[in-house]
Amino acid sequence: MEPLLQHLERFSEVLAVSRTTHVSTWDPVTVRRALQWARYLRHIHKRFGRHARISKALERRLQNQWKQQGDSGPAPAPGLANFQALGLCDQLLSLRLLANPALGDASFHYLLQQLFPGPGIPDAEEESLQGSLARLARRRAALHMLRFNAYGENPALQEDPLMKTQAELLLRRLQEVGEADAGGPGRLLSSLWERSPQNNFLKVVAAALLLPPSSPRHQEEELKLGSPKTPGEEGQELLRWLLGKSDVMVAFCRSLPAGLLTLVAGRHPELSRVYLGLLTDWGRQLHYSLQKGLWIGTESQDVPWEELLSRFQSLCQAPPPLKYEVFTALKSCKAQDGDFEVPGLSIWTDLLLSLGSSA
Amino acid sequence: MAQDSVGLPSDFQFWMRKLSVWDQASTLETQQDTCLHLPQFQEFLRQLYEALKEMDSSAIIERFPTVGQLLAKTCWNPFILAYDESQKILIWCLCCLIKKDPQNSGESKLNSWTRGLLSHILSTFRFNIKEVDLFTQVLGYAPTDYYPGLLKNMVLSLVSELRENHLNGFNTQRRMAPERVRSLSRVCVPLVTLPDFEPLVEALLTYHGHEPQEVLWPEFCDAVNEAFLLKKISLPASAILCLWLRHLPSLENTMLHLFEKLISSERNFLRRIECFMKDSLLPAAACHPAIFRVVDEMFRYALLETDGALEVLATIQVFTRCFVEALEKENKQLKFAFKTYFPYASPSLVMVLLQHPKDIPQGLWHQALKHISEMLKEVVEDQTHGSYGGPFESWFLFVHFGGWADMAAEQLLTSEAEAEAPEALLWLLAFSCGPGAGHQQRAQTMVEVKAVLSRLMKLLRSPTLSARDLQAAAGEGGEGAPRPPACQQLIRRLLLNFLLWAPGGHAIAREVITLMAQTDAIMHEIIGFLDQTLYRWDHLCVEAPRSRKLARELLAELRGQA
Repeated sequence: MEPLLQHLERFSEVLAVSRTTHVSTWDPVTVRRALQWARYLRHIHKRFGRHARISKALERRLQNQWKQQGDSGPAPAPGLANFQALGLCDQLLSLRLLANPALGDASFHYLLQQLFPGPGIPDAEEESLQGSLARLARRRAALHMLRFNAYGENPALQEDPLMKTQAELLLRRLQEVGEADAGGPGRLLSSLWERSPQNNFLKVVAAALLLPPSSPRHQEEELKLGSPKTPGEEGQELLRWLLGKSDVMVAFCRSLPAGLLTLVAGRHPELSRVYLGLLTDWGRQLHYSLQKGLWIGTESQDVPWEELLSRFQSLCQAPPPLKYEVFTALKSCKAQDGDFEVPGLSIWTDLLLSLGSSA
Repeated sequence: MAQDSVGLPSDFQFWMRKLSVWDQASTLETQQDTCLHLPQFQEFLRQLYEALKEMDSSAIIERFPTVGQLLAKTCWNPFILAYDESQKILIWCLCCLIKKDPQNSGESKLNSWTRGLLSHILSTFRFNIKEVDLFTQVLGYAPTDYYPGLLKNMVLSLVSELRENHLNGFNTQRRMAPERVRSLSRVCVPLVTLPDFEPLVEALLTYHGHEPQEVLWPEFCDAVNEAFLLKKISLPASAILCLWLRHLPSLENTMLHLFEKLISSERNFLRRIECFMKDSLLPAAACHPAIFRVVDEMFRYALLETDGALEVLATIQVFTRCFVEALEKENKQLKFAFKTYFPYASPSLVMVLLQHPKDIPQGLWHQALKHISEMLKEVVEDQTHGSYGGPFESWFLFVHFGGWADMAAEQLLTSEAEAEAPEALLWLLAFSCGPGAGHQQRAQTMVEVKAVLSRLMKLLRSPTLSARDLQAAAGEGGEGAPRPPACQQLIRRLLLNFLLWAPGGHAIAREVITLMAQTDAIMHEIIGFLDQTLYRWDHLCVEAPRSRKLARELLAELRGQA
């Protein structure tokens, strides 16, 4: 077992080097050896795919590495992050070498001979690298074509494939990190919040909270690896983190569109309570301007009346029980203010009037 | 190879012009034209590769100075990269340009330029959305990790949009405009064989808008059908049914494909024809009467065009068998009356023919045959049955279930109880081989067959049997006019049956066949007979080990000779 783990570590180093200028020193023999290692690891992946104990040990080692890299540098170099990645490691190595201009001509020539031997080379046992690289190129072209020729304009965020894919990636990574270290997911999320564009991050979080509990593929993998976690737990992890970070939660409720927040709130009651709390806080910041006949804020960051109204409107269209909870909250606020029925005295009265509540 | 590359230079100019016009396949017209030429261009790329791989890269540049330009333009055309194996062949071509040890700056430049192109094919076409790239990078994923997932999600999103259209009709906001469905089907032309696209292809095929005209691009339907025939795509039967119902040329092409197999590779291999037929889903799709009628019409034309070729007849029988099986499987209670499938036939006749001989005790086969013969005869010879078409229609119906005629021939030779051949069975045989014959001619055939049969029956009981005896028995009985070809064929069939069933048959079989097979056509006829007989016995579970063994041996030998 130990030699195998060492082998794995060495290969990870090779992989890391493969995208640096250091490959200028690689001769064809080095390229051949690197490819052989990759092929061997892919073989390991195939062989031990159903071997929970071994694949688990390999995965733990990979994650430790990944974690160390992540802790030390800025963004960790994408590499072998999990056991599944072993199945693609020769492809990853090949792509990096192909795209690295530092690789010398002779080595590059050799690399091409290895990767693209030409037609009529049967590879019965497993899919050839040539085939998988060609299919990768084909898929990329396919993505390009769909994006520019068939993609609907502005799909709703929760249906946007790009968001959905990012959300799936996030959950997958959370799961992997969580298995190695219980505190991992929280740290990862915090670093994502700090390092990646925040608006995109918040949308991805929303999309992730809307994904069905666990995709079948994921479940299968987990069963195969004998994971102690139950499917969907990484979604809960994400929710816990979000609710625990008040600044992120405020940004989340403030910047995402009303309809999307309603969907998320409808799915997660804990989140809906916090969201409602924030909305009432924001409402309390507004005061009535007799001059303008409007509810206005005093500070620039105050939530305008129109936005508040549109968020409540969206919530009132949610399916029960959320819808009723919203009305109950508004009515209790109104009662606290003195249960006025005339406009301009309590914002809750005015909101309820504008929402056309007959209840 | 040299031969192939002769036309290359002129092709080269042609494709160079095309690629310049296509640009990046950005307009509707260029996309259309690109789709139309994809297979041809792939063939050109293949030939180009065959030529390039024989040359050193300097020689390549000398012979094709603009090859780099041509390949570069190809690299930037997503339609070409998405099609079948084009991207792979393109990579091979580029590999040929790379020099192992560039000698001067020009060669180095070409090397790095080519490397740029290779890298473009494999790793560009990025989404180039900064936030996404950054996010995935921080997460530690390379594009390779998530492109398959992204493609899947994009396909699923389009599928759900198409389905929503279907369910909600006019009332949905997410309704896909017909123009978009159309353009989507065009984009899919090069991609139908990519497994990730199967759900989308299926959704498009089963999509029904509210437009009176077809929204799907015809080239899309062609591409799907072609991929299906070549087994490059797997689709549920329901999707294929939709394809054929909405695009007749696809169904016609499938039939033509079947006929091609019939006259080439699978000639006289009914088992394989049956496999192909089942794989093609034709019998299952034919449960829909509209499909059945088209298929049946094409069989009818094939019969008329080939003057009733035996291979076609055999195929119709196989098709009918598979069709009836599919019909029974689809539901026990028929959705459509048999009348919708066989509008020109008498319903009671159809019912009788449809009976599976396996469900009738062997002892009663004779009875069943007699009954069929009588019913047919009544329809054919009684003028008052004009409503069921002419004799041809009855014959065409009967050949669907031609196994009955083969059984009749067998019965005539094997049922010893009868001293004299029963008229009904003789009539059935005579009718089965000559739909065009008038009453008179049929009577003549019956007389001839009867005479041959009685001679054969005598030989059956004789202790010694020789090929000459058999030939004499089959010979023409005296002066009269020579027998018409159909009658000759029928007698050959009887002789072959005799060889299979007579105790002494196996000893003289080879000699008799040599005497009989005077032409290639007759040889094929004999092979066909043996193949069909074995196929029929398998389905009827006929217990006749000796006869079976002989038939199998003869078939193998004759196939070896033919």
